[in-house]
This record gives sequence, C-alpha cells and structure tokens, in this order.
Amino acid sequence: MRLEGEATLEPLPIPHRLNCLEGTMAKYIGQRVKRTEDPRLIKGLAHYVDDIRLPDTLHVVFLRSIYAHARITKIDSDEATKAPGVVAVFTGRDIGDRIGPVPCASALEGLKVPDHRPLARDKVYFVGHPIAAVVATDPYLARDAVDLITVDYEELPAVVDAEEAAKSGSPVIHEQFGDNIAYRLTAGEGDIDAALASADRVIRQRIVNQRLAPVAMEPRGVLARYLPGEGELTIWSSTQIPHLLRTQLALMLGIPENKLRVIAPEVGGGFGSKLNVYGEEALLGWISMQLGKPVKWIETRRENLQATIHGRGQVGEIEIGCKNDGTVTGLRYNVIADLGAYLQLLTPAIPTLTGLMLSGSYKIPAIQINVTAVFTNKMATDAYRGAGRPEATYVVERAMDLVAAELGLDPVEVRRKNFPKPEEFPFKTATGLFYDSGNYEAALNKALEISDYAKLREEQRRARDQGRLIGIGVSSYVEICALGPSQAMPAGGWESATVRIEPTGKVTILTGASPHGQGQETSFAQIAADELGVDINDVTVIHGDTSIVQYGIGTFGSRATAVGGTAVLKAIEKLKEKINRIAAHLLGTDASLVAFSEGRFSIREAKRAAAAGEVTAAGPPEPKPNGKKSVSLKDVALAAHLAKDLPPDMEPGLSATYFFEPKNFTFPFGTHIVVVEIDRETGDVKFLRYVAVDDCGKVINPMLVEGQIQGGIAQSIGQALYEEVVYDEQGQLVTGSLMDYAVPRAHMIPRFELDRTETPTDVNPLGIKGVGEAGTIGATPAIVGAIIDALAPFGVHHLDMPIKPETIWRIVNRS
Amino acid sequence: MKIEGTHTLRARRERVFRALTDPAVLQRCLPGCERLEKTGENSYSTTMKTGVGSIKGVFTGIVRLEDVRPPEHYRIAVEGRGQPGFLKGAGDLDLEEQTDGTTLIRYAGDVQVGGTLASVGQRMIQGAAKMMATQFFTALEAEAQTQEGEAPPKHGFFRTALRWISGRLQQILQRLRRSKRHPQS
Repeated sequence: MRLEGEATLEPLPIPHRLNCLEGTMAKYIGQRVKRTEDPRLIKGLAHYVDDIRLPDTLHVVFLRSIYAHARITKIDSDEATKAPGVVAVFTGRDIGDRIGPVPCASALEGLKVPDHRPLARDKVYFVGHPIAAVVATDPYLARDAVDLITVDYEELPAVVDAEEAAKSGSPVIHEQFGDNIAYRLTAGEGDIDAALASADRVIRQRIVNQRLAPVAMEPRGVLARYLPGEGELTIWSSTQIPHLLRTQLALMLGIPENKLRVIAPEVGGGFGSKLNVYGEEALLGWISMQLGKPVKWIETRRENLQATIHGRGQVGEIEIGCKNDGTVTGLRYNVIADLGAYLQLLTPAIPTLTGLMLSGSYKIPAIQINVTAVFTNKMATDAYRGAGRPEATYVVERAMDLVAAELGLDPVEVRRKNFPKPEEFPFKTATGLFYDSGNYEAALNKALEISDYAKLREEQRRARDQGRLIGIGVSSYVEICALGPSQAMPAGGWESATVRIEPTGKVTILTGASPHGQGQETSFAQIAADELGVDINDVTVIHGDTSIVQYGIGTFGSRATAVGGTAVLKAIEKLKEKINRIAAHLLGTDASLVAFSEGRFSIREAKRAAAAGEVTAAGPPEPKPNGKKSVSLKDVALAAHLAKDLPPDMEPGLSATYFFEPKNFTFPFGTHIVVVEIDRETGDVKFLRYVAVDDCGKVINPMLVEGQIQGGIAQSIGQALYEEVVYDEQGQLVTGSLMDYAVPRAHMIPRFELDRTETPTDVNPLGIKGVGEAGTIGATPAIVGAIIDALAPFGVHHLDMPIKPETIWRIVNRS
Repeated sequence: MKIEGTHTLRARRERVFRALTDPAVLQRCLPGCERLEKTGENSYSTTMKTGVGSIKGVFTGIVRLEDVRPPEHYRIAVEGRGQPGFLKGAGDLDLEEQTDGTTLIRYAGDVQVGGTLASVGQRMIQGAAKMMATQFFTALEAEAQTQEGEAPPKHGFFRTALRWISGRLQQILQRLRRSKRHPQS
C-alpha cells in the first residue's frame, strides 16, 4: 500500500527540535526565506477572480452616476434590455428591499446611518454611485448596453467641502437627518483647558490629511455562482475578509450562512480597501440567484477610483501646550472628518482610531479630540493602510516639530524629552490605551547613529551657507497593531488556525487570516516547519475559502502574523501533545521519555531522564519487545490515520484547531530620519537619505518585514508628495484615472537604509508586534518635516500635503 | 472651468455675424455636429459626436442664443449630455471690425463638465477646446468668405487643417511683406 511505502521513507536530515522558539536551533524562523508565493505570481500562473472561468458565465457592467448629488426622476432601460447579448437590466427599484442594506459595523452612540442599498433608488449621492446593472453574455456587450440606458436627473447642490458640510447653512445630503453631521465625539483624559492655560507656550496649527485612494494593483472583482439544485451560492471576491463577508452577505441576501461559500482567491493587494462589504458583492450573488447562472463583474480602474473606499480625509486644528524646556503638557485636536456619502463597514471608526493614538510615542498628560464627522457627496472614506493612525502620527509628529521650531530646540531633543522610559511600560496614555512594551529612545538612538545625525546637521549648515536647501526630518512613531482583543473590535479580534498532519506526514495549515500579498504562506510555514521539525516544502498554507477553512477574521490592522501566526503556533502545541503520545506508544515507552531530534522520536536515555527527574518511581517501562528504536513524524502520522495501533481511547487522525484571543493590542514603534534636498529651479524634492529603524518585536522573516516597510514608505511618499483625491466644486472626481491620481512610480522612491530594534511583547507567545502599516504611519511626517526643515530659512513652519514642486517653487522664488 | 481666446477671420464683420447665427452654417462648422435644428427663436437642439482624447461619444443637447446684438455680440448657452458625461456652459462672443477689413472675435466662457469627461478628460479639456475653436473658426472663415447663394464650402478635418495652415502661412507672408516695406521697424 502506497501509504505504508511513504511512511517508511527515510526522514529528511534536518536539524530541528520541538519548541525551537525557546532555543537557538530555529532553522526557518528569523531567516530570510524566499516567498513561496512568488514563483506563481511572477510567472503569471496565479489565479485572481478574473482568472476563474466558469462555463455560461454572464457579465455585469454598472451604470454609475455622473452627478454628485441628484434626484433620479426616470430611468429608461428598455433599449438596453433589447440590445444584443443583454440578458437582464436591474435597477434599484427592481430590487426593492430584496437585498438588505450595505452594513456598517460601527456602533458609535448617536451615529446616523443612512439606508445604503447596492443600487441607488431615488437619489444619487456621489459620482460613481451605482444606478443600474446590465447583465450580458459578454462584458463588452454589457458595456455597450449601459450607454443605451437613459437617466433623467434633477441636479441638486453638491456638498463637497467637509468644513462647509458641517455648517448650518449647507445643503443637506440625507434629508431625514436634518444636517450633515454623522456624529460628534469628544474623547481623551486630563484637564486639557488647564493644561493649555498653564503652558508656557500654546501653538496652533491647521493640519490637513488629504483624501487618498488605496489603488490596490488588482481592482475589485466578484464572481457569483448559484446552484439552484443544491441551493448553494459561491462568491469569489477579491476581499481581505472572506468569513466576515460570508456572514454579512448571508444576512443581506437572506440565505443560510452554511449555504454560502466565499472564496478569496489570489488577491492583488487590498491596503484596507477590501476590508469591506460592498453592494456589488451582494448584488452579484443576488443576480446569480435570479438568473441561475454564474455572473462576473471586474472593476475597472476608473470605477476603482470612484467607487472603492478612499482613505484619510481629515481637516483639523491642533493646539499644543508646552513648557519652555520642550515638555509637552497638553494636546487638543479639533477635527472634521470627511466620511463621504455613505457609511461603509468601518467608516465612522477611523477617526476614533486617530483619537486613540493621539499620544503618539510621548507622555502627554492631557489630550482631547473633538471629532465632527460629516457626510459629503463623495465616495465613503474607510480603512486605508494605517486607518486613522497615520493621521494621528502626522498630527503628533507635526506638533513636536512645531514645538521645536517655536522654542528653537532640536526636534530630536523635544522627542527624547517627552518619551516614556522603558521602565514605565506597560504605559498608560491619556487616550486610555496601555502600550505593551517599548524602548523608544533605543530606536531613536539607532536611527541617529545610522544617519550620523550630528554630522548631518553640520553638513546641512555648510550646505545652507552655499545656498543649497537641505532639510532633515525626524519621526518617532508608535502604532496600534495586532488588532486586537475582541472586546475592542466590532466583530471578534481573535484568529484561528487548524494544523493537520496528513497520513504521508505533509503538514497542512488552514488559517483564518486571509493574506493578500503579505507572505504568510511563507511565514506560517516557517513557524510550522520549525515547530514540527519538517522541511518547509512539506508545509502548505491554505486560506481564503470559507468552506475549507474554519471561521476566521481576516487580514488587516497588522494582525495576520501576530494573531493568526500565534493561532498556528498554539494549534501545533496542541498537536504535539498527541504526537508525543503516539510516538511513545509506537516506541513502547512513556510520553515523558520521548526525545525528538534529527527528525526522529526516540527513547531518552534512562540516565538522562533520571537526571532530569522525570522517571517515575516504578522506573521506565520496558520497551515493547518488537518496538522500534526510533520513529519519524511520518510514522506517527500514518499510525494516527491507520488507527490500528494507537494508545487506548485515543481519537484517530492528527489535526488540531486553535482560536487565539490576544489580551491586548501591540504597539510597534520606530524612528525614521529623512534627508532631502530641494531644487531651487524646479521645486523638486530629492531624497538624499532615508533611514528607518522599526521595532515590530520578534521577526519571523526579515525579508517580509523589510518588504512591508518599503511598501509602506512608498505609499507615504505618495501622500507626502503626490497623491490627492480631488473633487471639483460640483463634486466631479477630477482624479479619475491614473493619469491624474498621482501614485509614485519606482524612480520616485529612494534607496532605504533599514534597521531594527527588537522589543518583544508578551501579548502573544511569538513576541510579534506586526508591521504591515508601520511604513505609512511613520514615514509621512518625517518626509514633510524634512521639506519644512529645508524651507526653514524662508520662515516656513508648516505645509499641507501633498507638497507639490509648485508650492515649494513659489516659496523659494517669491522674493 | 474658464475657456477663452481670440480669433481673426478674414471676412467682414456683418458676414461673419450672419454666419455665426445661421444654423446650417454652424452645423457645418462645428466639429462633429451631426444635427442642429431650430426649435424656437434663438434656440436649437443639437446632436454632436465629440469628446476629449479617448473619451468620445454622442452628445445631445440644446443651444440658446441670448443678448443678440448684431453684428457685434451674443451670448451662447449650451447644455448637452451623452454617454461620456455632461457639459454645461455659457459664454460671450464679441466681434470687432479691424481696419484691414478682418474681424476679431473674442470669446470667453465658463464650462462645467461631469462624468467620465470630468474624471479623465478634465486636464485636457482646455487644450481640446482650443483645438475645436480653431477648427470651428477656420471653417467659419471659409463660410464667411463665400458669396451669398454660392455653394457652401466643404469641411472636414483635413480640409480645415489645410485651410488653417494656409491661413497661417498667409499671415506669416503678410508679416514678412510688411517688414520688407518698413525695414527699420
């Protein structure tokens, strides 16, 4: 029998041991293991939603609003319905209440939630608002038929500017609410009024975090297939949260959750934009149920910029109080958050994350945030890489620079002065968080050392004397990651893993996290390979299919490795107990006497066992007469599945599932130092140095960590210098294609000098903090700070992003 | 968005103004205009096949002339909608007779666009509008140079381009001749 043949194969000669995390013999953990995902991605062999082809698939194209705010007086789709290839046309009125509202998971007190349906009914609220869905045998025929639908609009005044939206005279978007205020929130601790009143100086500054588009490389896409006989609906969607999506779609469509299967195949990036439940996902499922055929919709880039969530969008004013020595005494942030027309899954929660992180990496005794969140005639904002934390970090770090400028102090010294000391951890902030662990000064010092900061300042002075404009920017950030304890999360903060050892000894991991570019197929295999002492190529990580994988939460909030990786570790720990018992049984010994090395289980030498005090009074049991000297993991796995020779009462099979609930968030941190030079002639910004020291706790794969940091910084460069979602006064999206929405290109990204400090956390046994968003959180203020520092001779203290060459050129050439 | 410019037509002002208010002439001169029908005093309905760059399509809409003061001024209001989006605008046209018998037209207006036209084409609209204006006025000039009752000139992209180039060449030649006549200046 083949199984037996497999089981008797020689074990692979790999040095390993159980519980390697506690020792030094880890073979894979901590190593730069190449991503096992990459070959298929690089060769174009991966399967994204659009690569999944089912016979008889129909194609959906949406008609979307060309007005930001208008009443729909009439929709005439007769001609479209008769067009070649068209199978059906659906409008919001056709669907009625048969699809439930698009969900918002936030439960803030007093939050106004507009009724959000997949297709507009009587009014359109933003450019790109879906109005009708055309279903045809071919996507191009569907697209042509969209042109044949005529919609009569009665144009209404558009509310575009968030600050104007908050005013009492503004036109109202959702008439039923009376105004455009979705919610107001005041949070923070400490007597902020007293703190500001008693400060030696109070600095005020208006600060803008402009609206950004996440621009995942793969736009959204949905394929839905309803099998009427089985009553089963399968939805392939480019999503970060297949299980949460399944639950929400089951509720929206009114079908049992166990008849609905969501599959996230290869997902080409998300950055938070796919941490959502979109109307299109439910609608495709519904259409497939109506027509009994598979239906597919692949988002175009224009739709992606119009109708996939945006990020950021905060306009605020900070007041920061400080003593003359640079000690910060209080920080107030009055902010207007631009939510857009509707609330998507986490839209209202993003500004609250900003509020939580307003202490930054500093001891600030009094903090207050006053949020006014408003509706505008634009696409909803929601989680975009960092999700509320880049905004907070930008505010706090700009504040530190402003304090330094006001007092004529070095920005590094102002930061150092306000850091909590390592012995003060867990550190409680005035925003109510407990930072798990940290050594902010160590990361700062390392960054100063790598950049040779003192020398940089010296060079800057010399360069200035020669008329060159060189600036140095510093940012010491902290972020909230590994989201998070379930108490603090809208829909569970744990993560799940099943680890299975197949009869041939191959290891299968089913993770509830749904990686989409982060590389957990590699890093989770590293954990398992080390823990089980197998070759990494014998481990397969499966994710993103709700019918295969046990319920999970998903990948976002820098959580997949810290929470999901820990679940893998815990499941393996559960499994190892059973492995040991089976091995002991096969060896005819007691489980406490089983030793594992060189890929084999054997009986510990009695002497050593005795020395270890593990011998029972009766002494070690005699080995079975026909017992083997040693067995491999494969022998154990085969025995577990053949179940002919197992310890009495033992369940056959070899698999364990663990749901890991973290007790807290984690708080990674670091310091970025940026040196820029400004071209006087063009206003262009050139990076001379980019030094980043990040501390994300223990690291499984340094290459993956670096990749995350690099990508994050690149997106920060985008926010600092180039990117901005622009709507004109009528609410028309001006940045509607990648010709106008300026994502940075490769040549705009400098070489990074990356390093790390390692402060483990006790929130999870791996000591991992998370790193997915660090780059976008830490980098932006450092880049902006460097530009402002370069322009300091012109009396510049602050500039709003994106800092375009034109802005700089005008400052430099205004005399 | 503001659109403005000037154009000199080698024709008398009265003749230019008549051409500018003749729907048949306008239909021939407006690039992509497939239909321009009078629907009332100074108001017309139109179908135009036009666009910016790759954002092309058929627009239907209405055109109204206001504040008509022959032969020197009118205000034109346009509203059109089509698959690539919508367009809404109004502008003033002023005609000045020049001493050399030519007519200087100044135009200035404000245009709003929506839909794909706004989200993809916005940056190119001013350039495209300039180009369309050049095509339009070049064709209009040819119309205004014909005698009443004569068969109208033929238009089309290449014909118009040729006329525009020959117009430019004539201007340059004139300038050269003038500078020969007055070598000091």
